[in-house]
Amino acid sequence: MDIRAQVSMVFHLDKCIGCHTCSVACKNIWTDRKGTEYMWWNNVETKPGTGYPTLWEDQEKYKGGWEKKGGELRLKLQGRLGALTNIFFNPYLPTVDDYYEPWTYDYENLFTAPEGDDQPTARAISMITGKHMEIEAGPNWDDDYGGSPVYASNDPNLEALTDDEREQMSEIERVVFFYLPRICNHCLNPGCVAACPAGAIYKRGEDGIVLLSQEKCRAWRMCISGCPYKKTYFNWSTGKSEKCILCYPRLESGQAPACFHSCVGRIRYLGVLLYDADQIKNAASVPNRDLVEAHRSIIQDPFDPQIIAAAKANGIPDGMIDAAQKSPVYKFVKEWRLALPLHPEFRTMPMLFYVPPMLPVLAKIKDGKYDNADVASKSLAPLLSSLERARLPLQYMASLFSAGNDEVVAASYRKLIAVRIYMRHKTVGDISEEEALEALRAGGTTAEEVEAIYQLTAKPTMEERFVVPPLAREVAIEQTIDPFTRKREGGFGFRHAPQRGG
Amino acid sequence: MALSRLRSIALASLVFAALLMAALFITVEAAPPNQSADEGATLFKEKCVGCHTIGSGKLVGPDLKGVTQRQEKAWLLSWIQAPDKMLAAGDPIATQLLKEYNNLPMPNLGLNETQVASLVAYLEGIDAGTIAAPVLPTAAAVPEGNSVIGKELFTGVNRFQNGGPPCMGCHSVGGLGALGGGALGPDLTTAFDKYGGAAGLVGFLNAPPTATMNAVWSRQPLTADEQANLMAFLQSATATERPVEALVPLTVLAIVGALILIVVAQLYWRKRLVSVRRAMVTRSRIS
Repeated sequence: MDIRAQVSMVFHLDKCIGCHTCSVACKNIWTDRKGTEYMWWNNVETKPGTGYPTLWEDQEKYKGGWEKKGGELRLKLQGRLGALTNIFFNPYLPTVDDYYEPWTYDYENLFTAPEGDDQPTARAISMITGKHMEIEAGPNWDDDYGGSPVYASNDPNLEALTDDEREQMSEIERVVFFYLPRICNHCLNPGCVAACPAGAIYKRGEDGIVLLSQEKCRAWRMCISGCPYKKTYFNWSTGKSEKCILCYPRLESGQAPACFHSCVGRIRYLGVLLYDADQIKNAASVPNRDLVEAHRSIIQDPFDPQIIAAAKANGIPDGMIDAAQKSPVYKFVKEWRLALPLHPEFRTMPMLFYVPPMLPVLAKIKDGKYDNADVASKSLAPLLSSLERARLPLQYMASLFSAGNDEVVAASYRKLIAVRIYMRHKTVGDISEEEALEALRAGGTTAEEVEAIYQLTAKPTMEERFVVPPLAREVAIEQTIDPFTRKREGGFGFRHAPQRGG
Repeated sequence: MALSRLRSIALASLVFAALLMAALFITVEAAPPNQSADEGATLFKEKCVGCHTIGSGKLVGPDLKGVTQRQEKAWLLSWIQAPDKMLAAGDPIATQLLKEYNNLPMPNLGLNETQVASLVAYLEGIDAGTIAAPVLPTAAAVPEGNSVIGKELFTGVNRFQNGGPPCMGCHSVGGLGALGGGALGPDLTTAFDKYGGAAGLVGFLNAPPTATMNAVWSRQPLTADEQANLMAFLQSATATERPVEALVPLTVLAIVGALILIVVAQLYWRKRLVSVRRAMVTRSRIS
């Protein structure tokens, strides 16, 4: 047993309103530099949709993540020989057009245009070439179903559906979408780390944050292909790759990452998980159906004295164990089994989990009215059986969150429905106790658990949402550098600015 | 009291040490140039005989007999020290000599002041009759060469006995192959005439005076036979330009080679990612 700590995340999709505040907060802090214009370490996608970069989920194109070959786990991108023959030309790189060409506007022209008959305009200017450009795509071009005949209908997850189901989705009263905010998943078995020929990417020991050394990076760009979530990006100005750093400077001073802190819908939770590193290989190698269960099984109970002893033996400080016991992520993922990993079939074991969205999926329109508005006036009982008739087929959610195993997604949904029905029974009182108890039974839950889920979902305090462990960075680094020296030198910005050829 | 005495002792020893060091440096600096004619003789064999004789007529450069009487000593010293600088400065004697000797400038031999002084002392000794003039190999002593063997040596088909690199690595000769030879050293098409025939070349090959050649050939010299064969080849290689016909197969070869490489690359990377978004949009618009 090799117990390690990981700062992990839960995004509650039912609460996401798709406002992109997280993306903007991140952009303003980290990617407003030259060469990073096109990067969105945090982005929000509309689902169904093709996302950013376009069709990132289609690994037949991008070759990200892992696959099982002859019983062994292998990078889908290439083996060692392939890495050698392709070292100077990685054939599976997205082009900037697949992300989007970043632009600004020629605002100057509004003030300096010569007098004429027409209003001067501010034309779009490429932030890469500096020339006028026609805008063809953006980082959230298909937001709210913009251009859906092209974008939404090409969503790779729709392949899991039957033709009938796909047909139904485009019916006017069934049309449905939800938002999917994405950051780096800080995986347990990261494809980017495995693909890097320079050994520049590493998973930080004390908190599991995956970082990319700006000094060791040699611009081979294999990480960009290796990551199935396309969350490492190449900075064309410095010639180094960059990625989400989970705002570790903020974490080290006890604050939540900027995207978490700024979230309007308060959908984001952050906390520590303890896991057994010895089991990673096995858990990443199980058949698709069992991936979610295997992923849950390597997360360890932070209250178990044996686990605590093993964690301490591994040098995990008491503060970290304490944070693990208070972790909202542990509750959502392991205790309540509500939150699910995004695309576990990529086998990188992502440590960002999603509570699947319920309302857009279940709310149905009947005779021009919301079905469950009608239902709520009498009884919520039909909600229990409506899962099979959901607007967005369950198979779609299974393709996103459980590698196609719809039982796992259904179990999560049943519990969410139970919370809804039980709390309605309790607070509004228009649902009978029998019905509420029936919902609890169907959801496999209890009244206490439902209360706890309700509390953490609807009314959590900031301290309950973000349990930031005391990251004793000074302790972690003192073997290699005097913490006071580090404190003096490590100011704002790069300690050694990355430069081409450096 | 004790402390101040200790301090004065320390100070005194420091001053002494400093003086000692200074004395050492001054001795080195003030040492008169070692004008050893013996050293001059050795240097002459190493550096000069490639182009000069003493009393056996001119080769690439002038016969040095009586040179110390023809030129002033100061001029000789600065000329041997840095002929390139004097030429660049437009020294009248140097310019005149250059014109006289086929516009072949004397290379900078990289000698230091002491060595130059030794050389001049040696030359003065010979002119004064106190030192015997050296006996140098002449063209007459070189056996008859075979230009075919010479060509094989030049191109590297056959290797040099002492392991030297083939000439073609750095030099080119007109009419030799479609691509010619290396471009690091000068083109040798007219070298035979330029160096005044076998007499000039044999000296050069025996002890190459230029820095690059010297570095390569002093440790792995050419044998007399090799020299003869090479000279025979250089004598026969008199085509001044690469024939135009040679450019046609060269161009064709280049195009065919490039095409083959492109096809191979296309095949090897046929599954590469070209465009995702644009391709998707185009496909959707068509259907």
